[in-house]
Amino acid sequence: MRAKAEIPKGGFNFDNYRRNVFLEKQGLGLPKAIKTGTTIIGIHFKDGIILGADTRSTNDTIVANKNCKKIHYLAPNMYCAGAGTAADTEQSNALISSQLELHRLATGRQSRVITAVAMLKQMLFRYQGHVSAALIIGGYDISGPSLYNVHPHGSSDKLPFVAMGSGSLAAMAILESRWTKDLERDDAIELAKDAIEAGIFNDLGSGSNVDINIIEKDKVEILKNYAKPNERAVKEQSYKYKRGATAYLKEYVREFIVTEGDAMDIS
Amino acid sequence: MNPVDFYNETLTSVPTEHGFYPYESNGGTALAIAGEDFCVVASDTRQSNGYLINARYAPKAFKMSEKAVLANSVFAADGNALVRRLTQRIQWYKHSHEKEISITALAQLVSNTLYYKRFFPFYTQVLLGGIDESGAGVVYSFDPVGSYGLEVCRANGTASALIQPFLDNQVEFKNVQFDDKPRMTLDRAICIAKDAFTSATERDIYTGDHLEIFIIKQDGITIESYPLKKD
Amino acid sequence: MFLTRSEYDRGVNTFSPEGRLFQVEYAIEAIKLGSTAVGIQTSEGVVLAVEKRVTSPLLVSSSIEKIMEIDTHLGCAMSGLTADSRTMIDHARVEAQNHHFTYNEKIKVESVTQAVCDLALRFGESAHGEESIMSRPFGVALLIAGVDEKGPQLYHADPSGTFMQYDAKAIGSGSEGAQTELQEEYDKSISLVNAETLSLKVLKQVMEEKLNNTNVQLASITPEHGFRIYSEEELQVVIDRL
Repeated sequence: MRAKAEIPKGGFNFDNYRRNVFLEKQGLGLPKAIKTGTTIIGIHFKDGIILGADTRSTNDTIVANKNCKKIHYLAPNMYCAGAGTAADTEQSNALISSQLELHRLATGRQSRVITAVAMLKQMLFRYQGHVSAALIIGGYDISGPSLYNVHPHGSSDKLPFVAMGSGSLAAMAILESRWTKDLERDDAIELAKDAIEAGIFNDLGSGSNVDINIIEKDKVEILKNYAKPNERAVKEQSYKYKRGATAYLKEYVREFIVTEGDAMDIS
Repeated sequence: MNPVDFYNETLTSVPTEHGFYPYESNGGTALAIAGEDFCVVASDTRQSNGYLINARYAPKAFKMSEKAVLANSVFAADGNALVRRLTQRIQWYKHSHEKEISITALAQLVSNTLYYKRFFPFYTQVLLGGIDESGAGVVYSFDPVGSYGLEVCRANGTASALIQPFLDNQVEFKNVQFDDKPRMTLDRAICIAKDAFTSATERDIYTGDHLEIFIIKQDGITIESYPLKKD
Repeated sequence: MFLTRSEYDRGVNTFSPEGRLFQVEYAIEAIKLGSTAVGIQTSEGVVLAVEKRVTSPLLVSSSIEKIMEIDTHLGCAMSGLTADSRTMIDHARVEAQNHHFTYNEKIKVESVTQAVCDLALRFGESAHGEESIMSRPFGVALLIAGVDEKGPQLYHADPSGTFMQYDAKAIGSGSEGAQTELQEEYDKSISLVNAETLSLKVLKQVMEEKLNNTNVQLASITPEHGFRIYSEEELQVVIDRL
């Protein structure tokens, strides 16, 4: 004898998957996540690390934010520039940042860059590339200045200079032609700025301003909008509407001041 | 079927698919505003592909006669081919009828030229702005296969969704109640065109570099050029 | 004219040593055998008038059609081998329609005349050896009249493919006398009504039969009404003015 309907006793249930495919066909797919077409770079200079980033975030072909922050805090001696899905880079950083903080409280020691990199890459690998975060981590710890990048699948490199994001080719062209060992601080900042600007002007996914972070021994300088090469043009005329420009169908005025009744007894 | 056999079967029997992708989108935006006795046609000059900029100065608007300017967007190769074909037809018209083609005749010609390629279309959206035989400003807009209509103002291209509502409001005064709707002067039309483009450049990654404004009047066509942001 | 007649009148595309194309000249001669047709241009419109040779009392005169419409703003009168004109008028009509389809405007009178004359030259063997469409020149001359942005105009097209604009023109058997008469009577300021009268007056003088409302055909092309062939009643009104 067999039961009328066989209910599987175990295994996976794919009902929701089928429902989602159906909904997608009806035009009810998930909204697209904001992906930052980005230019981010990191370079070693004589006394530390410089991180650079543009400030454009895009939603498909529309600019979602003209002056967003792409260089995130990881630890007092460590910052991280992110490219990819905005939510993924922000969340990964926040998660690792809090874990580093707890780690510092537990150990009473300064965080190490390699620790952050190890935690980030382990997390990203676990998600098999589905967490779209391409990161450049720069910091100054017990072993001096160090610079890493981490790809969305969890691989990482330790590099003297690096560029990531859609504008990485433009930025890398500048870095490859001008980076040298033991750059002076000012020269290094200028190089970082020029590399980011190459991305801003030649990559449509990158734009607006240049953000720079300089990480040295026991010292971090944050230069938000270090360069603003894309100021908005002044408008030709004012578009302020005259009072009453909007038509309405009916008018309803409600009196909010209630005059009836006695004052509350608060004695 | 044995799972291994099935695996081998699918390996050998799957037909190879050859894709044919003759089109691409090169971005960019164009707009046209018709006035009482003038017409303004404006377009940016950026040409791009994906996240790359092909050219910062690749004009999309062309003078077709002393009374008409054609602007196209979407696929630059088709747009240019269309303009070359029309230029030749306009010259033939001039030779065989000993007169310059009117914008109404040109509009019909553009429509037919587009419909001629109904099943392998020119992948382009066309705007035709100019002065008609009575001296009035006119704007015609076309879909890729030749359907067309007479308009007062129109935007097309990647930032069209950003600019069209602005033009509807500022040129045709849609959704506003004014007692004194200002007459569309040439100066105001140019201001609107400039502001439309500087604003679209802020939010559309495919619009930028340079703005070219064609001003078509009874006594001829003048071109003004302005810089746009290059990021 | 034909004193030097020789072998050179055989091939339609062969010049004689004197530089003449005899077949074309013969074709032009053929028109002189045709019934007379007259066209007069005025500032108000163009008038076309033709003689119909009603050769038998049993012939239905209304079946003789020598004035035809090319487009609403274009008409045409003919003389010569009128059968040939079918091909030319068909071509003119296609050309006019094609122009309207392509440009959404009316074709110019000169352009449609040019188109007809282009066709008139397509006789004889073609240069690349393919089958030619016509073995001989057309044996018909046309008076093409119409109204366009330049105003009312009258053109004459002959079998050689030549066309010229006229204020007033007569073709056909009585053309010599008719043309002389037109030259004497025509005035730049002539009204359309007077042009109607003049055209019939000229025809009357060169016709063998007595002119009546069935043996002539009259048409006008005006900016207001376009091409219009006059009914027998309308024709009678004009005849009564003579």
